[in-house]
Amino acid sequence: MIRVLLVEDDKVLRTTLAESLRVEGYEVLPAASLADGLALLAHSEIDLVLLDLGLPDGEGEELLHKLRRQKGTPLLVISAREQDGLKVRLLDAGADDYLVKPFSIVELLARMRVALRHRGQLVSAAITRYEQDGLLVDLAAHRVSLAGEEVHLTPTEFKLLARLLRSAGQVVTHRSLLADVWGPEYCEHTHYLRLYMGQLRGKLEADPAEPTRLLTEPGVGYRFA
Amino acid sequence: MLHTPMPSRRWPALVVWGAAVALMLALDGKVGLTPLAMLLVLASTLASLWLPTLLALTASFIGVMAFGWAFVPPRYEFGAHVQEHVLLLATTLALAWITAGLMARLRAQAEAAGRHAFQAEQLRAFSEDLRAVDDVEEMAGALVQALQGMAAAPVQLLLLKDLLPATNEAEAVYLVGQPDADQWTGLWLCLRRAVPFGPGTGRHEEVGAWYLPLRGRQGGRGAALIPLDAEPDLSSRAHAQALCDQLGAALERSVSASATQRARDEAEAQALRNTLLAAISHDYRTPLATIMSAASSLESQDARLDTAQRARLARSIVDETAALARMTDNTLQLARLDARGVVLKRDWESAEELVGAVLRRLRQRSPQAPIKARLAPELPLLRCDAQLLTQLLENLVDNALKYSEGSAVEILARRQDEQLLIAVRDRGPGVTPAQRERIFEVFQRGEQGHATRPDAALRRGAGVGLAACRAIARAHGGQMRYRARSHGGAAFELLLPIEETPA
Repeated sequence: MIRVLLVEDDKVLRTTLAESLRVEGYEVLPAASLADGLALLAHSEIDLVLLDLGLPDGEGEELLHKLRRQKGTPLLVISAREQDGLKVRLLDAGADDYLVKPFSIVELLARMRVALRHRGQLVSAAITRYEQDGLLVDLAAHRVSLAGEEVHLTPTEFKLLARLLRSAGQVVTHRSLLADVWGPEYCEHTHYLRLYMGQLRGKLEADPAEPTRLLTEPGVGYRFA
Repeated sequence: MLHTPMPSRRWPALVVWGAAVALMLALDGKVGLTPLAMLLVLASTLASLWLPTLLALTASFIGVMAFGWAFVPPRYEFGAHVQEHVLLLATTLALAWITAGLMARLRAQAEAAGRHAFQAEQLRAFSEDLRAVDDVEEMAGALVQALQGMAAAPVQLLLLKDLLPATNEAEAVYLVGQPDADQWTGLWLCLRRAVPFGPGTGRHEEVGAWYLPLRGRQGGRGAALIPLDAEPDLSSRAHAQALCDQLGAALERSVSASATQRARDEAEAQALRNTLLAAISHDYRTPLATIMSAASSLESQDARLDTAQRARLARSIVDETAALARMTDNTLQLARLDARGVVLKRDWESAEELVGAVLRRLRQRSPQAPIKARLAPELPLLRCDAQLLTQLLENLVDNALKYSEGSAVEILARRQDEQLLIAVRDRGPGVTPAQRERIFEVFQRGEQGHATRPDAALRRGAGVGLAACRAIARAHGGQMRYRARSHGGAAFELLLPIEETPA
């Protein structure tokens, strides 16, 4: 059974979420404070963390930093409406994804499934072949085809696509895309990203104005669906 | 520069006396004593033009005595014969003294007149300078320049930025110069008491500098420190004080102007808060009522509801909650963007991506919504806050779908000169001309009753949403406008300035 640590100080939301998750077959360890959360994290095997920020005894951010120093357990941030730049900072600090309150349980479950799929990815062999809805990407052979037709990508376009595929389903921040594809000194060159994403969509999306694969997370980054 | 009261040249007096002595020696023996005495008087009078009064009198006295000794027989001694010429010598000396005295007074009056004219001109010029600038630093610079002429060392100034603080805080004042601890205390004391200190003022005569307050009508606005040399020209103090008071009055004016502005800002903020509260209390009740009835129905009538009914109720709870969340976002943005000095999180964004993100979220909620995007190719990037822009577009799209009565909605983006146009258009009934003016205003409940508001667009929360759209557009230096479409329908258009994308 998958064990989820749920750190949320609001009692009603905590109970509701815990109930919904148990219905889905998860084992839930609820924690109402940062101290509780840290204690549970230290003494039990946790498969996934759901973390609220702004807890009564401290910032949830602290738990994320402690966790990331030790292991790669997937962690989803549950936050109130955007506090400037916090979302991006947490993602860059190693959070797997974030959900803004209020969110639907369907959305939460979907994000949890993606995060769990990526669990332990760092140690297992990386994906080299990706196939979905007619899109075929062979990372080893540098080949991309769409509905059986070969698609020609420039080296930068290919690197960008490969980086997004590596975190398929998860949001990748602008900063990490720029750092991984262009290099750390390009972290502020968001306009490069816009241009290359536009080109990629032109080649891979049926309607670039309404993409289904290369999704935009406004102000945060991109997500390969 | 201040007018110099004393002519610095004294050598012409020496020349005059030298010439007179030479002439007298040349005429000696050829004319009588009286014409020679007259020459002496003439020399004394002329020389007093260049000599200070006391020196002029002394020179005349020495001249007359030397004349008596050298020219009056018996020569080179003050013998008994001199007495015969006492009348001549006394008259000569008296004449010389009177003319020297008269000359000195005349000169003093001319100097005073010159100084007054200069000071009057300086005051006038200073007051004009003050009118031309509204920056405290520039004002201070002008005063320092005006006062420096009478100072022995750099003038120092202490100016209140705003209200008088309880303690002598460095943050509360604008400072010219670097006063030591004593001078710092002195300046503050002068400012707080609004009275002058220093030589000639009757207070702290010993300090060797004038501490002059910059007085406004309601007390001190600052203080000036004018270091003096050993012999201060006391008459300049009134002038210096007049200059200081002019700056004091100017500072008071600028502070009261900013206080007025602050009060106006606060009143506006208060008005907006009230409007928002009115809008919230009205608009939030509708979705809340739906949620309450649906949830309580599920709670109490559960057993009697069929599956489809339960699903519908649950669906309406989800939908109305989403609507509430959007309204909350809009209200918060409206309040935030209205505040002064709000900083947007701008980055280079592509219109295609922003529209794509909006459409994606919409499809998740209602996959069948009749909406499509038509974007011109090669659109320039926008320098904007992505969260705000998507919020704006979501508001417009929601609004269009709600009031399009099932007709197709389209999102359009194209370049229009130096602006990017993003429009959300529908074929619904549109907005009546009477309401177009106010469509972007926050709904104000007090002004129109419900009965007289037949337009659904204004009845249901659209006020906050469209007002937030306008606030977001303006925060980006752009604008929102409404256009009625030629074959019916509404077009809400966003115009944003295009900036040059870096290489």
